[in-house]
This record gives sequence, C-alpha cells and structure tokens, in this order.
Amino acid sequence: MIWQLASNSLWRRPIRTSLTALGIAVAVGSMVIFLSLGEGLRKAFASQIGSIGPDLQVSFGDFDASTSFTTLPEIPLHYLDDLQAQSSRFGITRVTPLLSHFRAGLSPGNSFVFQGLPASEDLANLFIDFQVDAGRSLRADDEGKGVAVIGAQVAKRSQLELGKQLRLSGDYSFEIVGIVSSSEGIVDNSIVVPLTSLQAALGIKDKLSFITLDLEEPARAAEIATQLKEVFPNLGFQTRSDVLGVLEQGVRITDVVRLGISTIALIVGAIAVANTMMMSVFERTREFGIVRAIGARPRFLFALVLSEALLLSFVGALAGVILGRLGMIAVNNIATNLIGLEVAALTPRLVLFAISVAFVMGLMSGLIPAFRAARITIATAMARE
Amino acid sequence: MLRAQELSKRYVLASGTVQALKPFSYDFSPAKVTAILGPSGSGKSTLLNLLAGLDSPSSGSILLDGNDLSQLNESARAELRLKYFGFVFQSFNLINILNAWQNVAFPMGLTGLKQEKRKARAFELLSHFGLGERLYHFPHKLSGGERQRVALARALANNPEVIFADEPTGNLDSKSGAMVLDALFELAAEGRTVIIVTHNLELAKRADEVIFLKDGELTNAPVELGQPAIP
Repeated sequence: MIWQLASNSLWRRPIRTSLTALGIAVAVGSMVIFLSLGEGLRKAFASQIGSIGPDLQVSFGDFDASTSFTTLPEIPLHYLDDLQAQSSRFGITRVTPLLSHFRAGLSPGNSFVFQGLPASEDLANLFIDFQVDAGRSLRADDEGKGVAVIGAQVAKRSQLELGKQLRLSGDYSFEIVGIVSSSEGIVDNSIVVPLTSLQAALGIKDKLSFITLDLEEPARAAEIATQLKEVFPNLGFQTRSDVLGVLEQGVRITDVVRLGISTIALIVGAIAVANTMMMSVFERTREFGIVRAIGARPRFLFALVLSEALLLSFVGALAGVILGRLGMIAVNNIATNLIGLEVAALTPRLVLFAISVAFVMGLMSGLIPAFRAARITIATAMARE
Repeated sequence: MLRAQELSKRYVLASGTVQALKPFSYDFSPAKVTAILGPSGSGKSTLLNLLAGLDSPSSGSILLDGNDLSQLNESARAELRLKYFGFVFQSFNLINILNAWQNVAFPMGLTGLKQEKRKARAFELLSHFGLGERLYHFPHKLSGGERQRVALARALANNPEVIFADEPTGNLDSKSGAMVLDALFELAAEGRTVIIVTHNLELAKRADEVIFLKDGELTNAPVELGQPAIP
C-alpha cells in the first residue's frame, strides 16, 4: 500500500518529479561514465599486458604508479650487456632493450609514442598476431636509419601513409616504410623505429627506458625476478602481474579523482531530491494531517516520504545507468577512433554501485523531509488551507 | 461510552494565554446523536479535536470505555482513532491521489487487512451509500454530496464505535446534506455514538442531545432548540 501511495504521490506532480528524476539521472549517468573509464582501463590493461607483455620487465629502481609512467630513459646501457651475460644462469632467452619517447602535440592526432627497438628484432616475436598491413617491417640494415613502421591506429588517426616523413625534431625525421597491426593496441598506437636511430634523434646514447626479458620458464618469472634483484640491486624486475598491479594502482588514483568529481554531481542530485521532498511535504501538510487523523501512525508518514525519496532516486538511477551506458558508447567510439581501445566499460559491479549510491542518496535526502512529515501536529495541519 | 472529564485547552501565545476550552465534562451516550453548537470561536472544533484524540488537552481526561486517551502516546492514540473512531469533515478531506474505493480502503490498509478484503468491503460500503457506479472515480470527479458519502463510507471502514462529524453538511446542497444527515442518524440507530459539530439549528433540533458552547464554556442553548443546554 505504501509503495502505491508513494508512486501516486510522485505522479501527482509529473513535471517536478520528472525533472528531479532527470537531475538524478544526469548525476548517476555522469558517475557511471566517469567510473566506467576505470573499468575499461582495467579490462584493456588486463588483456594487453596479460596476453602479450614480456615475461619480465626491467626498470631502473622500483616501478610504481607515481614515477613509472614517465618515458624518461634511466637504465644505463651497460645493464643490457650485464643481463645478457647472466642469460644462461637465469634461463633468459631474449633480452630486448626499449627506448620510449612520447612526443606530445596539441591534439591526439599530433601526439605520438615512439618505441625504439633493435631493428634486427623480429617484431612478430614481441607482439602476438603481429602483421604487416602495408609496406614492410624493420630489417637489421635499418639500424641507424630514419625509417619507421607505424601502427594501423596511428596511421588512421593521424592520416599517415607509406612514404610520408615523421618529424621528431628539427634534425631528425623518419620515413614511414610500413604499417603494422596486432591483436592488441600497443603496436597499433606506436611508431616503432630502430633503437640507435631514436637514441641519435633524442641525443641519448647510454640510457634505456626499459629492458624486457623472455624466459625459458615463464611460470618461474616471480622467482627469477627475486634472484635477479639480488644480482642487480639497482634495477627493478616486474612480472606481468606486477605491471598490472602498478597499472591498477594508477587507475585507482584516477578512481579517486573521478569519484570526487562524481560526488559533486551526486550531491547536487541529492539536494534536488531533498528539495523536491521538502516542497512535497510542505504542500501536503493538510493531507498528512488527514492521514494521521484517520489513524496513521507517525512512522507511516515517515516511511511514506522516505519511500517516495527512494522511489525517485531508484527511477533516476535506472535512467542514469541507461544515460551512462549511452555516454559510455559515445566515449568508446571516440577512444576507438583515437587510440584503437575501448576505454570505458559498464560492468555489473559498476551498475550495482551506481544503484547503491542512488539508494543511499535517496535515503539521506529523504530523512529530513520524512522526520518533518512524521512530526506534524494533526490539528494544525488540518487547519491549513 | 465516551466521557470527557474536566477537559480544558489553553494556548500560550505571544500576546498571552487563551483559554480555548474551559473545564468541560460530559458523557456521550452510545446510540445517540449529540450536536455541539456554538458561534465561531466558541471552542467547538477544539472540543471535537480533544475528544477525537487529534489534540492533547491542557488538563482533564477523555475516557473511552474506561481508558484515558490523554495518557496515550501518539502511536497508541493513532491506533485508537483507527479502530474506534470515524471522521466526517466539512471539506470532505479525501485523499486526492486515491480513487473512491481506495480512499475507503485506506484505513483498512492501515490495520493490515489484505487488499482483496478491504476492496470488497470498500465496494460494499460505497454501494450502500449509492456510489456503486463511482468506485473508480477520483475525488475531483465527484460532486460534493458524493465526496461526503465517500467520506462517510471511509469513516465506517473499520466499523468504529464513535463517529465525529465536523460541519458535515456545511459544503453541501440541501438534498445532499439531508442524505448525509440521514446516514449519520442511521449510524446512531445502529448503536454508535455520533458527535456532530454544527451551526445548523435544524440539525440540532433532530439531535438526541445538544451541547452549546460560548467562549469555550458550556452554556445555555438558544431557546428555539427547545432542549436544555446543560443536561
């Protein structure tokens, strides 16, 4: 009976109810979009790193979310030889140096990630499902030359084609000799150039960003990482799960920021619900007096007003999830065009979280109006016109 | 039996204390219609509110079958009103978001009666008052007389012992008013206590007992009523 009454009460003022529900929907929808970015990034990282990453990644010092996403090369070059010298002892099958450089532009179309890899390295060994879509891959004799193979997404996003020149600095430019792709996004979104060419272009002869290691027994990666750490105390050795963990840590940091922004929207939504309920209670004081006169207890009115707030929030939350889903599709369309990755995902836990937050919001914003309704004086309420 | 013992009500305002009802004692007999008369501001509605447990007395007590209402808390008073009292108001006071049968069924819902049963009883009561064709009409689609009959049906929903009517014919045409009054007198004839606050002298003449209030005090009734003011 109480839910029917609550529903009827809300529809007595359809425009006000709809606008309030819309306010909640926008608040919840924006929260869903913001938080779905984190969910999407987690999924993307898990699929990318988990399936194609190296068995061990080597960094200079510890690898954590606050310092390790910069592309400043820090690993002294001699560690490459040192690690190769230890290959047989630790069952290392491949040692690959990597120099990364991010060239920021004013728009995503002008921003590029350069990956310097030994030109002799067969990229098909590094990236699963690697394929050359046009032109060719790097060859050993490309080392030191200004040539590049670019990911299919980069080519599409920046409208690049074979033969075009990519300028890295005033003196250095790279000719595109191949367009490549793989089943994951790292290659698709990078420009791969010979290691020595990139070192020359950047003026960094003796430093690397990372070194990757392939192992004979990948299952022992964690154990080998510990042993290597004892030999090379200045280096950090990360397994795939370590890398994922650090990335997760980074996503969590952004979670807090996104949640903070969402909270502001939610507070505005909660104020809208509270305002609507307060107005409703004020307008219905006489009706509440009648209801009390014919035998309703104070707690009935308390429950009624709270039910209305919850119902309003719940309907708003459902609409918000749908709105968020639509927004997320739009975000993914843009992200797919720009970087070839779906960066937002609507997971069941996110839907549950959004609805739970709306429930708490309804509960909090309905409390004061509900207390007020429960405390009316019957004779005074009924005397009101 | 509803009994008022030294019942009084005073309001403390910024301008001073107002004695809305001076100590009042009276036994309201079952199976009788008692009319409460008096000019505006004489304390009629205050008395009705106190008797019905809608307001708390400043002093004195209200006894229903020996139980003192004034000693009960809000929830207990609500339960008592729900089970033992029925109300008919001048301005009908139906719940606008509920249709006719839902309005009648509402007090039954508060007792926890299942929907099928309360719907059946609401239909029965409304049909009894000639509203069998208006079951699904909302209050704004009903005439004044029809609304007051819905209110009467609602007042009887939980089969109360006492019916309080505050100017029940005040907003009705003479035909509808007569119909409502007949219904109230029928209820008294069935054994219920019916207490009516009114300005209507014709109604007062039909009443079994008359209480005349002036300045918050029981006083002599107008002679045209032909009844003693103070029993």
